[in-house]
Amino acid sequence: PTATAGAGGSGSKQDSTPEDNYYLAWRRRLQVVVSSLLTEAGFESAQKASVETLTEMLQSYLLEIGRSAKSYCEHTARTQPTLSDIVVTLVEMGFNVETLPAYAMRSQRMVITAPPVTSGPVTPKALTARQKKSHPPHVPSHFPEFPDPHTYIKTPMYHEPLSDYQVLREKAASQRRDVERALTRFMAKTGKTQSLFKDDVSTFPLIAARPFTIPYLTALLPSELEMQQMEETDSLEQDEQTDTEILPLHINMDESSAEKENASVLQQNASLSGSQTGEENLIDNPYLRPVKKPKICGEVN
Amino acid sequence: MNRKKGDKGFEIANLNRIKLNSKQCRIYRVRVNDLEAAFIYNDPTLEVCHHESKQRNLNYFSNAYAAAVSAVDPDAGNGELCIKVPSELWKHVDELKVLKVHINFSLDQPKGGLHFVVPNVEGSMAERGAHVFSCGYQNSTRFWFPCVDSYSELCTWKLEYTVDAAMVAVSNGDLVETIYTHDMRKKTFHYMLTIPTAASNISLAIGPFEILVDPYMHEVTHFCLPQLLPLLKHTTSYLHEVFEFYEEILTCRYPYSCFKTVFIDEAYVEVAAYASMSIFSTNLLHSAMIIDETPLTRRCLAQSLAQQFFGCFISRMSWSDEWELDQIVAYELKTGGVLLHPIFGGGKEKDNPASHLHFSIKHPHTLSWEYYTMFQCKAHLVMRLIENRISMEFMLQVFNKLLSLASTASSQKFQSHMWSQMLVSTSGFLKSISNVSGKDIQPLIKQWVDQSGVVKFYGSFAFNRKRNVLELEIKQDYTSPGTQKYVGPLKVTVQELDGSFNHTLQIEENSLKHDIPCHSKSRRNKKKKIPLMNGEEVDMDLSAMDADSPLLWIRIDPDMSVLRKVEFEQSDFMWQYQLRYERDVVAQEESILALEKFPTPASRLALTDILEQEQCFYRVRMLACFCLAKIANSMVSTWTGPPAMKSLFTRMFCCKTCPNIVKTNNFMSFQSYFLQKTMPVAMALLRDVHNLCPKEVLTFILDLIKYNDNRKNKFSDNYYRAEMIDALANSVTPAVSVNNEVRTLDNLNPDVRLILEEITRFLNMEKLLPSYRHTITVSCLRAIRVLQKNGHVPSDPALFKSYAEYGHFVDIRIAALEAVVDYTKVDRSYEELQWLLTMIQNDPVPYVRHKILNMLTRNPPFTKNMDSPLCNEALVDQLWKLMNSGTSHDWRLRCGAVDLYFTLFGLSRPSCLPLPELGLVLNLKEKKAVLNPTIIPEAVFSNSQEEEEVDMDTVHDSQAFIYHHLNMLERPSTPGTMSVHHAKGWCVI
Repeated sequence: PTATAGAGGSGSKQDSTPEDNYYLAWRRRLQVVVSSLLTEAGFESAQKASVETLTEMLQSYLLEIGRSAKSYCEHTARTQPTLSDIVVTLVEMGFNVETLPAYAMRSQRMVITAPPVTSGPVTPKALTARQKKSHPPHVPSHFPEFPDPHTYIKTPMYHEPLSDYQVLREKAASQRRDVERALTRFMAKTGKTQSLFKDDVSTFPLIAARPFTIPYLTALLPSELEMQQMEETDSLEQDEQTDTEILPLHINMDESSAEKENASVLQQNASLSGSQTGEENLIDNPYLRPVKKPKICGEVN
Repeated sequence: MNRKKGDKGFEIANLNRIKLNSKQCRIYRVRVNDLEAAFIYNDPTLEVCHHESKQRNLNYFSNAYAAAVSAVDPDAGNGELCIKVPSELWKHVDELKVLKVHINFSLDQPKGGLHFVVPNVEGSMAERGAHVFSCGYQNSTRFWFPCVDSYSELCTWKLEYTVDAAMVAVSNGDLVETIYTHDMRKKTFHYMLTIPTAASNISLAIGPFEILVDPYMHEVTHFCLPQLLPLLKHTTSYLHEVFEFYEEILTCRYPYSCFKTVFIDEAYVEVAAYASMSIFSTNLLHSAMIIDETPLTRRCLAQSLAQQFFGCFISRMSWSDEWELDQIVAYELKTGGVLLHPIFGGGKEKDNPASHLHFSIKHPHTLSWEYYTMFQCKAHLVMRLIENRISMEFMLQVFNKLLSLASTASSQKFQSHMWSQMLVSTSGFLKSISNVSGKDIQPLIKQWVDQSGVVKFYGSFAFNRKRNVLELEIKQDYTSPGTQKYVGPLKVTVQELDGSFNHTLQIEENSLKHDIPCHSKSRRNKKKKIPLMNGEEVDMDLSAMDADSPLLWIRIDPDMSVLRKVEFEQSDFMWQYQLRYERDVVAQEESILALEKFPTPASRLALTDILEQEQCFYRVRMLACFCLAKIANSMVSTWTGPPAMKSLFTRMFCCKTCPNIVKTNNFMSFQSYFLQKTMPVAMALLRDVHNLCPKEVLTFILDLIKYNDNRKNKFSDNYYRAEMIDALANSVTPAVSVNNEVRTLDNLNPDVRLILEEITRFLNMEKLLPSYRHTITVSCLRAIRVLQKNGHVPSDPALFKSYAEYGHFVDIRIAALEAVVDYTKVDRSYEELQWLLTMIQNDPVPYVRHKILNMLTRNPPFTKNMDSPLCNEALVDQLWKLMNSGTSHDWRLRCGAVDLYFTLFGLSRPSCLPLPELGLVLNLKEKKAVLNPTIIPEAVFSNSQEEEEVDMDTVHDSQAFIYHHLNMLERPSTPGTMSVHHAKGWCVI
């Protein structure tokens, strides 16, 4: 219990980057450890310089254990050191490992609380790529600087895009197959299944048959995917049609008959659609008539 | 909605008893002219044989059943409901005054006649899409209200239906008005049918239908179940063209003032036509993306419309006149061009007194369904023969005459005696034919309507070079069952080098040889084109010909003016010429079938050429695929080049740059679509020297599946993918089994593993993205059964049973049930048979029940002469009960049960039963030990005769009136040994 606590306190304030703070905090902890060990050994006071030296020694010793243990563990192709790595390290450093448990269990040891861990936020450095561009002559210097070059520089890629028909088809086919397979397997795994082989349920899992309440709806109505597809192909076709319809206008009169036909068809369509919309209200069909109210009268038989 | 209550008014001038048809109804009271009348209700068809005797022979049953049906036959003036006219009114009768019969009745939980579909979901009935419709086979209106259930009793109708406000009631005639009830929760539909109509043509459909007024004809209204409106729009979009076509060809307006089409679920039959409305299966609806269903649906729609003219408007006089209406309807279809090709078939035992059938043909309700379909086929054929004879022009005139007479009659409102013009009978029809055409077709009718069977010709020929004469020999077989003798003219067409020549031979009893002079010399006219029958002239490579003969090919009866089967012998090169150059589709198909017997490179070439010819009819090309596969298999040791059709398929449907990848789908050309679908299926039938499907073919099909890409296609590829699975199934060959090891995953053949992989993926994808009508699931189920049967996968019906449950789409259920039926046969499983029988009794869908019986009959677990562990007394009792009383609510089902019973046990007493002759009831094991199998037929035969006589005396009291009818029926003279034989006609698909 000496003056170790205040050590270096004033000096650290000057350049207080988070890393330095972190480093200093650990250093202080080590000093506390050294001090408590000294107290345990019966010292009542110590010079600041000697405490510093002991701290330095402890730190080096611990670092060496860590470094050596890491080497051992990497040597055996691991990333995390195990207990045996530490033991071998200690043995290698000439330490009698067997004495350690007894030392650790000694009665007069002092317990130091673990320091609160506060890992400071690490601010990433701004990416700098090449030099910032200086203003061109026509831009006055009071304008803001150019941003970092990487924000506007483009790097063309000279990679051959996939255009081979065979490869594309192959890719599309296997991609679809993989998706379907994965999807059905997933569905099979998450729900009830049936199997063709009694001894095996996983190789060919069949999603269990599930009756519908209204079976004809799913059977007859096209799926949304198909509907979408139909619209797409329809619009494609329309495009083609309009193309072909426009084209003959510029060609000779050879095509006039076809054109006439087209025109008449168009007219028909127009008249039809016109009549449909126009007569919608005029259609006289008994099923479209409003339902009559019952006669309210006294003649109830 | 489960309860129907009604009052009916009838106008009948008759005796002191009035007989009406009624089944299932609970009748509370009957009044005649407001006087209470006594009535007796007796339905002998409820339980055909009342005796719980040990009588189990089908002969007895059929006779009793026919008697029961005729005891209530409306055409004979009988009925289940017999009303006694109060004596006070007898003088009214004598004065020929009108009697009004008033019947109060209700119908609770009907088992037949009306079918309720009530999906088990949340919500009101309308939200659930619940609906009801009338259905049945032939005249079945008696199931839902008392009436004279005959096609020949006409009257006008006023119909009223009160239903939930969210529902629509569709029925016959004009909807006059719709009125809310006082509490505004229900509404009443008032219908008026002013055209005289038979009760059997009355129908009803109620449901929360979506309504579509035809945009071209506002008097036509279409109805479908909720959410299906877009499909309905597309499906019915061309109906106005059919209307126009019929009206034009018949030069007669559509007889009714309106037409309604209703599409419902769980249909009894796909199409049912009633006066001014037709009820269709909802499964006929399809979107614009579906190719395969379109012609089928259009055919159904057109058929129902034709039936509006003939069948509903003009009704038949009696059951024996049915053939005509069927014919006319079928005929119109053919001329309508809706059908791409007329259906042919043969065999009708109609009006044949020496019938050897296991059922009576006197009544439509006792007919086997199989018989009925053959009957329709033959009717169509006979009509075609008549048309051939009197020309189409006259035929149409006859139709027009019938229709115009009928429409004049129908407008005579209060002269019901005139209405008989609206009925058509065979004699009346023949009379108008002879009036219009001036030709006597009586011999034709005698030969083809009164007699059963087809003519069978065997032909062969030799060319006599010296006389330049073709010596043709034509033999007839008229002794084998299903055949008949033909005497008369027969046309033979000979294609020679100088052209095609027709010859008419006279077929007589003992002349077999016919000499036909040839027109051309055998010399080769170099570089000269050869004229064909249709006037076309073509170049032919004549090197294959016999140098001495000028004959290219010979056809017997090319116009099909005789219902016949021809087996003609000519050399392979002649068949090949016929295939390549004859323009007649039937001739092409005949030659394809004949070429199967000539596996030579020349046949191969001819077939390949036909496959590539785009002008050729697509069905011929499809048929050529299968023939080519067969030829390739016969030639397997000498076959050169890639597997048959592979290079052709590659050339037609694969990418130019990478031949192993199929082009992205484009089904704009339907001909090539059908060919693209069929070729892999046929290719999968190829076998190598080890009788296995070549690896190359399997990889090819798997690649087709892998690279299948439908993204740019206007049409759905579900049928195409389904056929690819069929192709995979076709490629499966029996597993090589080493000392009966159990089938497990470990010893699975690697090829089969690949196939299973595809099937699993397809079947699972169906759950996520179902295809139209679940075609892919259906194919997968069939393929799995094929794998089971070939011993690659353990045979197990569990999967199929789960797919057969109620709640799956009907096509899936039928496919699954077919597999279970097959399993029952192969594995002789009593348990599955019981499961099927339970389903026959309990399934909610009548069509499925009918179909199970049908499939069991076609693929029976055992037959009458077979020793099977399944054949035991309990089963006999069960089936007997099913046909005796369990199926009284459905004629078709009962006839199906009779068919099955016949297939399993034959006409006489089932051999697994103990013999009552011995006076002892022995148990099964003892019986088997006692009886010598060789004496069974004899013993049973004599026994059945004896027994029948005994039983005749002890007929149940309440059946006394049947007794009388029983005696009237002639009994087949030789029961036991005969079998049904539908004469097999030749079929052009």
